[in-house]
Amino acid sequence: MDSESDLAPDSESLQLLEDGLRKTMLSTSGAALDAALADLGWADMLADMPDLAIPLVFRLLGETGSHASVLNDVLLETIGGLPGGTPPMPYAGGGWVVWERQNSDNSTLGGLPLRQVPDGELMRLGDARRAVGWWLVGSARAMLTLARQHALERVQFGKHISSFQAVRHRLAETLVAIEGAEATLSLPGDDNPDLTALLAKAAAGKAALTAARHCQQVLGGIGFTAEHDLHHHVKRSLVLDGLLGSSRELTRKAGAGLRARGSAPRLAQL
Amino acid sequence: MTVPSTAEFRSQLVAWLDDNDLTPPADRSLQGHMRQFARVQRALYDADWGRYGWPQHAGGLGGAAILRAIVGEEVVGRRLAEPGPYSMLEVLAPTMIDYAPAELAAEMVPRLLSGEEQWCQGFSEPGSGSDLASLTTRAVQRGDEWIVNGQKVWTSFAQYSHRCILLTRTGDADTPNHEAITAFFVDLDTPGITVRPLRTMHDVDEFCEVYFDDVVVDASRMLGKPGGGWRLAMDLLPYERSTCFWQRIAYLYSRFDALIGEVGKIGGLGSSIDSDLGEAYLALHTLRCRSRATQHRLADGHKLGPDTSIDKVLLANAEQRLYDTARDLLPGAVELDNTDWRTEFLYSRAATIYGGTAEVQRNIIARRLLDLGKE
Repeated sequence: MDSESDLAPDSESLQLLEDGLRKTMLSTSGAALDAALADLGWADMLADMPDLAIPLVFRLLGETGSHASVLNDVLLETIGGLPGGTPPMPYAGGGWVVWERQNSDNSTLGGLPLRQVPDGELMRLGDARRAVGWWLVGSARAMLTLARQHALERVQFGKHISSFQAVRHRLAETLVAIEGAEATLSLPGDDNPDLTALLAKAAAGKAALTAARHCQQVLGGIGFTAEHDLHHHVKRSLVLDGLLGSSRELTRKAGAGLRARGSAPRLAQL
Repeated sequence: MTVPSTAEFRSQLVAWLDDNDLTPPADRSLQGHMRQFARVQRALYDADWGRYGWPQHAGGLGGAAILRAIVGEEVVGRRLAEPGPYSMLEVLAPTMIDYAPAELAAEMVPRLLSGEEQWCQGFSEPGSGSDLASLTTRAVQRGDEWIVNGQKVWTSFAQYSHRCILLTRTGDADTPNHEAITAFFVDLDTPGITVRPLRTMHDVDEFCEVYFDDVVVDASRMLGKPGGGWRLAMDLLPYERSTCFWQRIAYLYSRFDALIGEVGKIGGLGSSIDSDLGEAYLALHTLRCRSRATQHRLADGHKLGPDTSIDKVLLANAEQRLYDTARDLLPGAVELDNTDWRTEFLYSRAATIYGGTAEVQRNIIARRLLDLGKE
């Protein structure tokens, strides 16, 4: 739409925005980050340029390892809910959770303020799945960065372990998964936005789990300690994969759709 | 002639394909496939569809390369031509246009585009597979001619080909490998050339051994400069992995549709079948999204490079996943019945080998994209 392209910032101001967001996310998390994002104009960004705001903000949450409750806002935008609400979100296995806006002690792995609730309402999840997908590939990139750095620094048998093919191939495999998932997330998908988003979430969850497995292995013992940052991203990936349907569930759902339809939709067109 | 927009182009092409019956005959042999491909190319060329996306100085009508990808997708997706022979055209024509002397390209490329000729690619050798730069087929200059001796292998469709784009060693022992290789455009009916088809495990003689015994090649047939053959080989890879891949993906989707149809007929336990189909679909969809982005990068004038190794890994994985799924969901179709699934399943085992092995792709990704330094 013309009105949207008028609002779209140029690449320089986009870079400034990204730098500002990254800096904020690196210095704060949780409810304080929500407040900081509100000051930075998150509500307007989401309303006026969601195709730019969602990938940017959620990818950076993944890359920085920070968190905020902004997924609520994406869902509220979809269902036309009142600002500040916390709509129940489906979780793997038929469960429901709400994403608390206040910091709280709870049992969720890795410290996200998710609280299990008994029930929720079905709603369109396309934008929200895409958002979590970007978060997952951001987390995957963060893990790849940590593992790559370790491989370049760590010396065994008198060599940097980055020179060993077994290590290199694990990292290469991780990059393939991430790039593939980003391609699915970047597809416009106008013909079938729900299926496009479902597949993108599935690809992103799979990429993050692939990254977690390979990067954990490359990092060896140090990556298993709480002193190293890796575990934050591993735990985040596990939780976010389950949120709004796990990669495994969504893949099965896509398969059921193919059987019902009798053919495979070509969602990506030139 | 003005070049239409992408959407107009596709709808006009689809209308033309609906009006012009190019259904392949029953002959499912490799020779039958080659004959059908030549027939389809001739028809597309005569109706101009086979000329869009190629430069005017090489027999084309201009326009973006993405138009060729659309023709390939529609033709291969409808199973009018097999992707293998088609891929040679998409790899070798751009290479000729970029590297051959202008007159030679203007003379020869239209013969390839119009289906009049088939060409092949003489790169791999018995001693030089993944380590292509170590190739030993030698070309020695004698006046205005070069004398070629050596052996190539895995040369697809050589027995049906009129010409070969051939890599030879021209440098001496002190020349670094990557400056010692020179490319030639060789007529395969030149005396001294022997072509011997290789029987593969999927029972199709697609690949050949090609022997060169004192073969005389005119200096005017050199592609690029002496020592520029490695550059040509590297520049060729992105063609192999852009437009070509889009066709192959269209083919894999058409086979996936066939699988979904057959699975629908036999029924069975729901949720594990759904998971298997979903996994195959996710792999194909991811590949298609990535390849789409690659076509657009190429169309926007970006130079494709090591990033296409990611496309190659995704393609090989998706292809093997698809045929593994077919074998799982259609029990016996590969082992007990002599169907297309058998041939294709077996052929798919090579997807992680040809065009640069899965391991070489990962080496490239590690070195060039992740900047991990040398092994």
